[in-house]
Amino acid sequence: MSEETEASEPVVHGALMAGFAQACVNLNIVAGRRANALLADIDMGRWFPLAKWMELERMVGESYANVEPIRLKLGIEMMTLWYHHGPGKMLIHRGADFLHFQTGSNGIASVIRGPRDVVGSFDLAEFDAERGHAVIRSSTPFDKTIECGVLIGGVMAPGDLHYVDVTNDGDLNRLVVEFH
Amino acid sequence: MTLDEILQGKDPDRMSELAPADLRKLFWMYKGLLKRVERDTAYWQATNDNLRTAYERLDEQERELARAYQTIRQDLEIAQQVQHALLPKDHPEMLARFEFSVYHKQMTEVGGDYYDFYRLRDGCHAIGVFDISGHGVSAALIMAYLKAQLVQTMEQVSRPREIVEYLNTATVGFLREVRRYATVNFVSFGEHSFRYVCGGGYGVLIRGGEVHTFNKGDPFIGLRRRAYSEYELPFETGDVLALYTDGLVEAQDNSGADYSTRRLHELVRTNSHLPANEILQRCLDDYGQFRRVDADDITLIVLRRRAA
Repeated sequence: MSEETEASEPVVHGALMAGFAQACVNLNIVAGRRANALLADIDMGRWFPLAKWMELERMVGESYANVEPIRLKLGIEMMTLWYHHGPGKMLIHRGADFLHFQTGSNGIASVIRGPRDVVGSFDLAEFDAERGHAVIRSSTPFDKTIECGVLIGGVMAPGDLHYVDVTNDGDLNRLVVEFH
Repeated sequence: MTLDEILQGKDPDRMSELAPADLRKLFWMYKGLLKRVERDTAYWQATNDNLRTAYERLDEQERELARAYQTIRQDLEIAQQVQHALLPKDHPEMLARFEFSVYHKQMTEVGGDYYDFYRLRDGCHAIGVFDISGHGVSAALIMAYLKAQLVQTMEQVSRPREIVEYLNTATVGFLREVRRYATVNFVSFGEHSFRYVCGGGYGVLIRGGEVHTFNKGDPFIGLRRRAYSEYELPFETGDVLALYTDGLVEAQDNSGADYSTRRLHELVRTNSHLPANEILQRCLDDYGQFRRVDADDITLIVLRRRAA
């Protein structure tokens, strides 16, 4: 994909797409030939239109009557894969590192590009290690429940924390992380 | 005593020996565990709900499939009745002159083998045997189309060559469009002989104990416009003629060997002293013992000229 396209069109990195697709396969959200086709379609080295990601999110939404627990699990599974089978271990060593990794939207910027008003931000706004409290401000186009799962999965993955929960207190864009 | 040491043992009473930091750790471990169970329970509940919905959809689709299958079955039964109606039934005029027996079996409810008896404009009796490429409903539709075209053709011409040429010219455009073709064997009987056109059809004449095949290699109907050749062979009292389609001779046994024209011709020859229906039955018995499974529609007509 050219730089020109990247600037004008929101795009998602293939690694994120592949992680999401693999999580869908691991959780049997898609199976059989559809699963093979889904994975074969994604080149980890390419950037994909954001619409393609949205299509995957929609596919999950259409598969379940009660989809929220599935989305949460998907986010967790994605980050478990990212940590244990992707670059995660090289980037973070403790659960809290994952939260710091989001400072200045550092994490999200590596997987989504495009106009700022479309791709938004995913930024560490508050962090208090003593209280086990952090806040992420998110204005990305991604599903918020999946993002909650991503935070839980990312913080839990190194295995040094015993408790992680993410809530949003009625403000969907304010993800409150409690960790101990 | 540390939390890990206590957890490795089996004595819960020693929990009171834990340091405050370990108690806090235990608290968060327990709470974390509850949270995980809560999330996993919600996940499995949603998965279970989804499975139930999927099974309900599957049930509904199964019912729809059963309804569709029933409709198709009924349509095929009607198609079968229609196709049977298109085949000849009583042939008193033919029976007066010829002793004959017919075996006709479609591989499915309807098929692409077609035969008919005709009285031509010149007064001669005739037989046509056609094998339309493919099977099933599409072949049966082509068969009905060919029959309609033949009716028109018979009103125009009467010699076998003219009939086949006329039929080919009238149908080649359509048949090429639908990518189908038909083999043909068209035989018109005179007083002491028959004239025939053979475009990919199969036939054998047993006369005086000798086998005369008449596969002359003219083209199938529906491939291209061209002239056909007409041949004549003597056919007198006692001579036996067998016309058939490839389903019979191309059927295979367990080893993959074809039933073959040679085997059929020899069988007709050695039984040519028998009545036509017995010759046909001997052929079918032998074929039944040979073949592993029917692979195509089959038509076999055995015919003998009656004494004048």
